[in-house]
Amino acid sequence: MKLHDKVVFVTDADNDSGRAVTKRLAAAGASFILNSGSGGSLLADELHLLRQAGLKTLVVNVDLSKSSETAAMLDYAEEQLGAVDILVFNSSFVHRASVEDCEEVPFVESLRVNAKSAFICTQAVGRQMQQRQSGRIIYISSIHAEKPTGSSFAFSVSKGAVKMLAKEAAIVLGRNGVCVNTIELGPLKGDDEIFQSTFSTLYRDYEYKVPNAVLGTADDLAELVLFLSSDAARYINGSDIRLDGGFLLHYMNFKMKRP
Amino acid sequence: MTISGKIALVTGAGTGIGQGVAIELARRGVKVAVHYNQSDAGALLTKRQIDEAGGEAFIVQANVADKPEIERMVHSTADRFGGIDILVNNAALQLNYGLFEHDEATFDRMMSINLKGYWQCMQAVVPYMKAKQAGRIILISSVHSKRPTDFDTVYAMTKGGIRMLARESAIELAKYGITVNTIEPGAVDVGKQSARDSKPIVTAEDMEKHQRTKYNIRDKFPLGRVGKPLDVANLVSYIASDESEFMTGSSIRLDGGSMHL
Repeated sequence: MKLHDKVVFVTDADNDSGRAVTKRLAAAGASFILNSGSGGSLLADELHLLRQAGLKTLVVNVDLSKSSETAAMLDYAEEQLGAVDILVFNSSFVHRASVEDCEEVPFVESLRVNAKSAFICTQAVGRQMQQRQSGRIIYISSIHAEKPTGSSFAFSVSKGAVKMLAKEAAIVLGRNGVCVNTIELGPLKGDDEIFQSTFSTLYRDYEYKVPNAVLGTADDLAELVLFLSSDAARYINGSDIRLDGGFLLHYMNFKMKRP
Repeated sequence: MTISGKIALVTGAGTGIGQGVAIELARRGVKVAVHYNQSDAGALLTKRQIDEAGGEAFIVQANVADKPEIERMVHSTADRFGGIDILVNNAALQLNYGLFEHDEATFDRMMSINLKGYWQCMQAVVPYMKAKQAGRIILISSVHSKRPTDFDTVYAMTKGGIRMLARESAIELAKYGITVNTIEPGAVDVGKQSARDSKPIVTAEDMEKHQRTKYNIRDKFPLGRVGKPLDVANLVSYIASDESEFMTGSSIRLDGGSMHL
């Protein structure tokens, strides 16, 4: 699968998924707009690799929940690299708090980072894609767009919102040759701590609730992003692809594959 | 159904579904707080119908995008009636703006009312329900929590968020004997709504085109009609009753079979 001449916009290049996706899509020859809260300092290895491969890269640091900043950045990026072919929206913010006790500010912040930014990016990139009648939008979502966390409701609420954003965009932009999908990822190593709950048993023995008892990694995610970015995926639109090794299908504890 | 004598707060009870729910709950002997925000005309009509039927209601105004106002609304309901047993979250904004018509301001406004408002109304009633170790929270959502609208991107986003808010709160609040369930109505005939600031879903031009086409109601609604507020109210009555005590985290689509077409 080749992505030569394709411009990929990664909304959080600093996090695990961002770095894995960047590396994998770089191997397919893409160019990059990397939004990096660290201004690139957390991306030294990746940037070195991109330079060595001679791939065009623009590192930016923009608040993607602000439409004017986002649009201005994309205009500049278009002059430098070309319009965005593939948006990988992977920004993610988890705030641990209960429905009963959560404060308003972190709730609104969760919506801002996870949902409002997704919306603003979809509008901004969608306008470019509409003009060119092609493009791909991939939201890195979570199994918690379906399964409650029991620990971080504002996170799952915002992922629920993005799920519907994707479906709306799949119709509206779908009429313009764009495919829009979500990847519902999880669990990865360490998620049992991130989503530790006092009442949900979801993450208890979580690695064994994956039927094959092997957890996925950010690299598994990157492979799927590459596939969804490729011409081979042209008929996948408006789908939510659960990338969890079968975790959410788990039911019978005594049948878990334990060592 | 065991429901008489309970205390309910229905948000957005001056029009449409909320009005139908408030009237039906009151007819079944529930004491109802009738909430409105912008215009009291509808709420007065709701209360008059309840009064005439011998029910008990009082009117409370609040902007559900504002937490202090929500708290004031909930406290005054509890003071008036002696607690709250049932919250029907219904007040919502639908602007009918497409993907490229919304901006940051309309996004924030819809999220504040439809999603943050639903959550904070729940937060405000929880202490009262906790005190009784019992409660019913009913979220009026929409078929558009799962199926896209193709006419209002952010509306669907708010409903998608409510889908997860319901699931999270159902498992969290279960320990207090509080259940949380969702109703997902399809098209409901809510009569002539005041225009406010929503755009029409269908333009005059499209409507004309549509009216020229031969159209069978069963092409959209297998049961041969659109929904009525009373359809929603009847389901609310069941969920609000004691008999529904084992049901939580459920969402019931109420659309006359429409979404299966």
